[in-house]
Amino acid sequence: MTATDVQRTIAAVWRIESAKLIAVLARMVRDVGVAEEIAQDALVVAIEQWPQTGVPDNPGAWLMATAKHRAIDKLRRDELLERKHVELEHDIQAAQEESTMAAEAALDDPIGDDLLRLMFTACHPLLPTEARVALTLRLLGGLTTDEIARAFLASEPTIAQRIVRAKRTLTDAQVPFEVPRGVELADRRASVLEVIYLVFNEGYTATAGDDWMRPQLCEEALRLGRILVGLMPHEAEVHGLVALMELQASRAHARVGPRGEPVLLLDQNRARWDQLLIRRGLNALEIAERLAPARGPYTLQAAIAACHARAREADATDWPRIAALYAELAQVMPSPVVELNRAVAVGMAFGPAAGLELVDALVAEPTLKSYHLLPTVRGDLLAKLGRGAEARAEFERAAALTRNARERDLLLERAATSSES
Amino acid sequence: MSYLLLIMEPHGQRAGRNAEEGTRAYESMLEFAADLKSRGILRATESLKTGGVRVATQDGKRVRIDGPFAETKELVAGYTLIQTRTRDEALEWTRRFPNPSADGGAAEIEVRQLYELDDFGPSESIERFREIGVGNGL
Repeated sequence: MTATDVQRTIAAVWRIESAKLIAVLARMVRDVGVAEEIAQDALVVAIEQWPQTGVPDNPGAWLMATAKHRAIDKLRRDELLERKHVELEHDIQAAQEESTMAAEAALDDPIGDDLLRLMFTACHPLLPTEARVALTLRLLGGLTTDEIARAFLASEPTIAQRIVRAKRTLTDAQVPFEVPRGVELADRRASVLEVIYLVFNEGYTATAGDDWMRPQLCEEALRLGRILVGLMPHEAEVHGLVALMELQASRAHARVGPRGEPVLLLDQNRARWDQLLIRRGLNALEIAERLAPARGPYTLQAAIAACHARAREADATDWPRIAALYAELAQVMPSPVVELNRAVAVGMAFGPAAGLELVDALVAEPTLKSYHLLPTVRGDLLAKLGRGAEARAEFERAAALTRNARERDLLLERAATSSES
Repeated sequence: MSYLLLIMEPHGQRAGRNAEEGTRAYESMLEFAADLKSRGILRATESLKTGGVRVATQDGKRVRIDGPFAETKELVAGYTLIQTRTRDEALEWTRRFPNPSADGGAAEIEVRQLYELDDFGPSESIERFREIGVGNGL
């Protein structure tokens, strides 16, 4: 191996192993920031030694052993320092042995549990959402600060600062490195799922960021989701989230036209949907539905996506079923946006008048005041009812609200054609 | 990016393995595949039976050739398809791949990156490939 080969191998090993290293170390030292530093110290040792010695047969184990020694040294130093302060010299020996033993006993725990703890800690509700996302990509995805910055169209110092601040917040609050139990678990799990789905959507909807980073983010989210499924195989919503992401990803190639313009779901060429991802999504959905007595929000959204995936052509879509799923979703996750989607499904299933009735009930909703899809949907239903002038006014309102230029063109075009009909 | 790991063994090596060695080789593969799966990067892994038949084109004609094929030294014993972020990661996983021959016999693993349709510029034929569902890096 040339020196360059060794360096590239080290970088690959780091990407593969860093999450596990940090997870195991964090349990030993009880601080993700310190754990990451120790893991990086071990990496530095590898960078110094491997070009001479060659890459070890089991580089992950090598890094882990090196990092663990450093962690134990640190624990001993901290213990010593603390003990000096309280001047309990005679206890030092016993305490040292105890902490070393605890740390060594901790080494025997399955690594998967540590990864799960790391996910829950990085997604701690104490942190602002954007910090959770950055920390998760950094600690679990092994992405560099530069890569995260490019994905989110932020400057590198901004992301670096965000990560530093997040780690400090966790340290200051002495957040325990654990998977919460009991009532807390549901909320904390929701935060983990939310972060993964945010990463996915950032890649999928492409509101910002470097072009080549976007598919990377989708893949990263799917990878994190699949890992989480392995760690929490009995959690229905984890399977539900993976199902939702696989099904949405299956449409990635069909949702953009040749000139980069968005293609709406019903207008997409379904032959371009990725059947392998659909199969994986449907499998995951089946597991989610089998596990849960009552379907959660991700499973329900996946079930809706599955209705589209199963329809060979747009006309074959089972709209009554989608309308029923949205009604169920509105129960577990009440929101005006869900209600608006339900109105669309009801309009397709039972006619535009039935849909319009639901949309009209949302017109006064303050949270939808500047949401361009409300007048878009309303305009669409009015047009179908032959109320051209009203439809035109709605499309014009929608065009004024959207920030997407291509979408605006489309809406103005619809406004122009509505008044004719 | 998807990479195909082609596992190649010398002819006859597999047949020379006893049941215990076979089980050991199989278990090390299983463990490795489970590790890949837990990391969310495994797409497929299969083992291939021996005793293939070839259909060759000779002088413009199709000819069936039954094995064994004396002229080739190696047999493709199986394949594993993984999806990693970089080529170096795929190479590192290949380096860690358990030796298909548990008794330390010779083996080679060839790493090949799959074409993805995004590698090509947009064209009608690429669209047709998408429609028949091939070339998704799978």
